[in-house]
Amino acid sequence: MRPASFEYHRATSLDHALELLHQFGDEGRPIAGGQSLVPMMNFRLARPGHLVDINRLPLNVIEIDGPVLRIGALTRHIAYFDNPLIAKYFPAFLDAVHYIGHPTIRRNGSIGGSISHADPTAELPAVAVLYDADIVVRSLETTRKINAAEFFLSAYVTALEPGEMVVAIEFPLPPEAYTGSFVELSERSGDFGMASIGITLEFADGAITKAAMVCSGADLFPIRAPEIEEYLVGKPLASPGSAEAGAIFAASIDPADDHIASAEYRRGLIAELTRRAIDIACTRALERS
Amino acid sequence: MIEITLEVNGVKKTLSVEPRRLLADVLRHEFGMSGVHIGCAHGACGCCTVHLDGTPRLSCLTFAVQCDNSSISTVESLGGTTADHPLQKAFRSEHGLQCGYCTPGFLMTLVPFVDEMVIQKRIPEDEEIREAMSGNICRCTGYHGIVSAVRKAVTDGLKSGAA
Repeated sequence: MRPASFEYHRATSLDHALELLHQFGDEGRPIAGGQSLVPMMNFRLARPGHLVDINRLPLNVIEIDGPVLRIGALTRHIAYFDNPLIAKYFPAFLDAVHYIGHPTIRRNGSIGGSISHADPTAELPAVAVLYDADIVVRSLETTRKINAAEFFLSAYVTALEPGEMVVAIEFPLPPEAYTGSFVELSERSGDFGMASIGITLEFADGAITKAAMVCSGADLFPIRAPEIEEYLVGKPLASPGSAEAGAIFAASIDPADDHIASAEYRRGLIAELTRRAIDIACTRALERS
Repeated sequence: MIEITLEVNGVKKTLSVEPRRLLADVLRHEFGMSGVHIGCAHGACGCCTVHLDGTPRLSCLTFAVQCDNSSISTVESLGGTTADHPLQKAFRSEHGLQCGYCTPGFLMTLVPFVDEMVIQKRIPEDEEIREAMSGNICRCTGYHGIVSAVRKAVTDGLKSGAA
């Protein structure tokens, strides 16, 4: 299919983009890589009246700013593969990027686009929730930071108001003794994931001191697993009880049936992915100890 | 309608387009590049892959108006009607195609990969080749022939570089 009619505007600066989005309100959408928006438009599931092309704005920096790593909204997914800051501080993030689409999509898709689109199976929203990132949102008049846990409201629904645009994502820098992992399963490489699990761990003296866990596929947006985060504290890295953690978590969720997987299959899959993610993170922690 | 200038396979042309027109359609209908195949029109099959300023891009997920003053290459730029680009030759000799519908997309995705491997002077593992082409769907070959074709093109490229 082909998209419905719209008017096209190329933003020449961030202020220009925000002015245009302010002017168009509900009818305006920024377009970056278009890897999610254009399919939706081709299916006519999205029919914005005005597209504001932000591709030529300088929003593609990855930089440390005090206690956070700031990633500009236009950073393309391919940029993470050889970025030393991502590899050093955010191993689960680096794992997750490998599951995003395929090479052509990774060269063109952007983090701001993925976060704003809020596909329930997408990797970067899950990564943002896992790392307690702040989504930096601008409008003509205001700048606000929304914690990822409060940003994703449902499938394809976010806290963004008309006229607002994501300009950056800020990831708090972790402490030194820190690792993580991210695992996902989909029918074919690059397809929408059936479920994914991300883990981060802090550790000392061979045991876990703090943990975070995120799950996509259990609900309409990525959810944290506070029960498992608590369960893991104090567990030895050599035997963290990952299978039990998976079973406990799977019993606490209520995944949906869909055309790809039944709820029961997905529940079992989430238990197994939880086990794998914890084991991989603990193995990495032991290698670093 | 918006006026844009595109350079397609070295030829510049200025034309007026509706913003909603996909780059894939404009390349086919306004530039006559019928090698740009449209399989799914939502970014799942890779058939419409072209190079936008040198980088592979799905032309079904791109609006032509976004490409003003850009340079675009399609499969027609590789080996012309004789299809004599080394990767095209390798596709023929290794049975990398049958019906041929997906082939332009595979070629445009894989030519930069082959070039990169030759620059790095190494023959990629099959797994790496499969990852490079994971955004392209082929219903005929079962992919083995395409993997062999890529390996052959890299091997040939390394030989001719050494000679």
